[in-house]
Amino acid sequence: MKSLLWLIPALPLAGFAVLLFSGSRLSNRLAGLIGTASVGLSAIISLLIAIDFISEPPVGNAYTQVLWRWLFIGGFSPEVALRLDALSLTMIMVITVVAFLIHLYSTEFMAEDEGYRRFFSYMNLFVGSMSVLVLADNMLLLYLGWEGVGLCSYLLIGFWYSDSYNGYAARKAFIVTRIGDTALIIGIFLLFTSLGTLQIQELIARASLMWPVNSALAIAASALLLGGALGKSAQLPLQTWLPDAMAGPTPVSALIHAATMVTAGVYLIARTHALFDLAPSIKMLVAVIGAATLLISAFSALAQSDIKRILAYSTISQIGYMFLALGVGAWSSAIFHFMTHAFFKALLFLGAGAVILSLDHEHNIFKMGGLKKELPFTFYVFFAGAASLSALPLVTAGYYSKDLILHDAFTSPSGSPLLWAVGILGAFLTALYTFRLLFIVFFGEPKTEVTSKPGLKIKLPLFVLAVFSITAGFVETTSSLGDIHILSGFLVSSLPPLTKPAEPNASQIEIAGAFAPLAGILIAYLIYYRNPGISESLAGLRFGNTLKSFWFSGWGFDNFYDRFFVRPLFWIVMANRNDFLDKPFLGIASTLKGVNRLLALSQSGKVRWYAFAITMGAVLALCAVILP
Amino acid sequence: MNASDLIDLFPLIIIASFAIIIMIVNIFYRKHEVNAVLAISGLLLAFMTTAGLFGSVPGRTANLLTIDSYALFFMGLFFAATLAITALSYGYNKTHEGSHEAFYILLLIAVLGSAVLAASSHFVSFFLGLEMLSISLYALIAYRRGERSNEAGIKYLVLAGLSSSFLLFGMALVYAQTGTMEFSEIASVSSASQVRSLAMSSGVLLIIVGAGFKLALVPFHMWTPDVYEGSPAPISAFVATVSKGAVFALILRFFTLIDIQADGRFFLVFTIIAVASMFTGNLLALYQNNIKRVLAYSSIAHLGYLLVAFLSNGALAITAVSFYLTAYFITIIGAFGVITVLSRADEEREFLDQYRGLAQTHPLLSGVFTAMLLSFAGIPLTAGFIGKFYLVSAGVNSALWLLIFSLVVNSAISIFYYLRIIAALYEAVPEKMIEIPLPLAGTIAISALMLMLMCLGIYPSQLIRLIQITAATLG
Repeated sequence: MKSLLWLIPALPLAGFAVLLFSGSRLSNRLAGLIGTASVGLSAIISLLIAIDFISEPPVGNAYTQVLWRWLFIGGFSPEVALRLDALSLTMIMVITVVAFLIHLYSTEFMAEDEGYRRFFSYMNLFVGSMSVLVLADNMLLLYLGWEGVGLCSYLLIGFWYSDSYNGYAARKAFIVTRIGDTALIIGIFLLFTSLGTLQIQELIARASLMWPVNSALAIAASALLLGGALGKSAQLPLQTWLPDAMAGPTPVSALIHAATMVTAGVYLIARTHALFDLAPSIKMLVAVIGAATLLISAFSALAQSDIKRILAYSTISQIGYMFLALGVGAWSSAIFHFMTHAFFKALLFLGAGAVILSLDHEHNIFKMGGLKKELPFTFYVFFAGAASLSALPLVTAGYYSKDLILHDAFTSPSGSPLLWAVGILGAFLTALYTFRLLFIVFFGEPKTEVTSKPGLKIKLPLFVLAVFSITAGFVETTSSLGDIHILSGFLVSSLPPLTKPAEPNASQIEIAGAFAPLAGILIAYLIYYRNPGISESLAGLRFGNTLKSFWFSGWGFDNFYDRFFVRPLFWIVMANRNDFLDKPFLGIASTLKGVNRLLALSQSGKVRWYAFAITMGAVLALCAVILP
Repeated sequence: MNASDLIDLFPLIIIASFAIIIMIVNIFYRKHEVNAVLAISGLLLAFMTTAGLFGSVPGRTANLLTIDSYALFFMGLFFAATLAITALSYGYNKTHEGSHEAFYILLLIAVLGSAVLAASSHFVSFFLGLEMLSISLYALIAYRRGERSNEAGIKYLVLAGLSSSFLLFGMALVYAQTGTMEFSEIASVSSASQVRSLAMSSGVLLIIVGAGFKLALVPFHMWTPDVYEGSPAPISAFVATVSKGAVFALILRFFTLIDIQADGRFFLVFTIIAVASMFTGNLLALYQNNIKRVLAYSSIAHLGYLLVAFLSNGALAITAVSFYLTAYFITIIGAFGVITVLSRADEEREFLDQYRGLAQTHPLLSGVFTAMLLSFAGIPLTAGFIGKFYLVSAGVNSALWLLIFSLVVNSAISIFYYLRIIAALYEAVPEKMIEIPLPLAGTIAISALMLMLMCLGIYPSQLIRLIQITAATLG
């Protein structure tokens, strides 16, 4: 069964090729079928492989499939090889299953769209690239997948390219993540030159042997990898692209900008965690960045009015939790939160998409309202997702994964009460903005007429994801709540468990962790359901207003970058209109042009001249050989 | 000569007999389709025989020919290339009435000459093969019978005659000095005596001049653009690939045996030729508006690149040359193939302006053309990238820094004119080009070439393994 591994990326890529080359010969129906079925088959294969893997674990708990050797020149022989271990298996299962559900959803969501075939070809390319990224056995292949998903992200954000804002958003996403990608490729070069291999396991083994803890190379390498992760996962200071990325179709936001691609940074750090263990300072930085990001974007989410932007800031914030977990060495907790987040955030985006579609593409939550009566199904599944995102205690998946991270942030040797406190505050805010959204959209007076209702192909994925959002958390619980460790026990062969001392205050930590979301929900209920006037009067205050617009603009990061990077650069460009740096290059160009003219004279078309050139060449060469 | 010798010669015999079969058939029945099918089946049969013989014990025929894996690899390459060129020529010739038997017969004889060159281990077979190739080409180049075609044919005839005389004189000098015309004996005599006398050096150098003409290396290159422009597009592809590849395979065999790279004087001459070829070829291509001429200049530069591998030593050099030549064959036949399927025998589409907005009317063709140009430029995931990667690593292994530097600079220069063509292909033009029906055989051929180009870029290991067997026989 495991030998079918190559099919997981190959099927969506084949689907992409078919959709790309068939052009307009395929009917929309067939195109949707090819796009969805190829991903669905990948999901089935990954589930079958998972069953096989768990029932008969391979030697060393990892299975490597070498497909072919790309090149072999001297010592450089990168293989096209896939590696299946507990980490990549967990990732690939979540990715293919969620991707399949989102593809199914898209067949209805995109039905009216002109670019239907184009949409599915990009989506298939994305799933193929993402599988390559996760399954790659070496850094080169991982980078191929990494760039592939970046390209798809760009193409899909700008999917409706006739609106120039969408093109702007796509470019912004591409350029900002490129900063991170550049750091990553430099990091890969550094690893290759200093360790002499690109194969990830070998790389880590050699690094652990050759590099002492805190050595300069280990710090540099992990810092560069972190740079790549920050760009892709939209963490501080490269988080600004994600809210704008919401310009793409909603299924894209669900798949790429919530469930899968943006967690590639989390995967990268988990995959190379041994390098980060060699650089405790960078590890600490990961935790601090995670904590700062989760707080900043949670505040921003509070002030948004576009339903998708709220969810986008929420995504940044939740990935902040994952980074926090990575930073304190709780690798498997990060992957656990990745999994639950993939389910509930995909659900929320798809639910939001259903709402948006029903209201004829209305994005503003203040123009929605009272949808509970009109769209009861959507309301209940959305409620399940919102509860999971808010970490409603005991009954939702989000609670177990977030609680674990908070617990680890406190008790880990590299954790601290401060990180924990930030996490608790974030949990409170998460519940507050989530239920603000829920109350405004689904309760109160109806403001926009419902023009259509979701059909079966939209409802089915929503239902499945809602079930996952509630139940997926029971695979991992803390000691006081059943002490189940299915996921971390499974992941232990790839990711070492966190060794934490027994914590005397464990129960207090947990109680605080459970009460923060409840408090958030209560306040949201009071402000946005019982007494909607309060928020307006708060915002009416001078201070409240300033704060709100500050949060609304995402803490002014865009403004800051605009003022300190973009505008100065533009100023330099304008000041240097006749670019003096260009002069040497223009000089080269005009020299080449001149030489071109001269040489063109030699092509006179006259045979006698050609014969003369041959003879002179022979004579000169003879001189060179005979004279010395 | 015994039975096993005969088996070794099967590929050559098949090609020769099919040339004769076409002649005989045309006495009774003249039809273009029949001629093309006969030529294609002859090449196919010869290719399959070559593949069957690959890896068997090397055979020698009367000291003239050595049928080893090295020879078989290149013979297979030439047959496959000619197969693609024949498929392209079929649709092209059909635009002009007639049965075109001469075209196919000459093409078969030309590829026979190339196969002889690949297997040659003796001056006699060297010269025989070369003349078989050249004489067929004189007629093929002038096949269109227009003013420019006749001019191109005559030019090639005069200059090839000149270069052949250099070659022959060089052979005579070497023979006078060593008393033998067989490569391995020349090698053992010259290394045993350890003297490189005046006559010997001059002889070898004149052979280089003769070969340099065929390879269109600077300063023996000037005929290239005129001939490429004047000859039918598929024949330009043949001149650029099979004809050059055959001579290169031969000089690589001969010069590796006598270990010419170890001689500092020759090394210098080759280095100058290589650097001059790269710069001249690429600089001349920069502002050229005739695409056939662009490809001619580009091929001059590519042969210059190839010399980097030629000058480095060891098995890696032969691997690099073989891979690069294969990639170069696919790419240049693909590029000329696009021109061919868009052209008629009496009116070729060769100017850049005629390609503006091609993507709108012929997305497949512009896709193929783009892929080929990217492969020329050495962009990853195409065969050209891996070929160039091999060249650079072969050069780095032997520390040929000047040549590597020149290769890198020239790759940068060349991207300008490749991108210039690609940009023209995707330009939005107000009035669409007239959509012309594409010939089926040619379209299949260029699609197959594009597929091979991508396959070799992503999955080159099979070919590399094949080449390593090849390299082992020579090294």
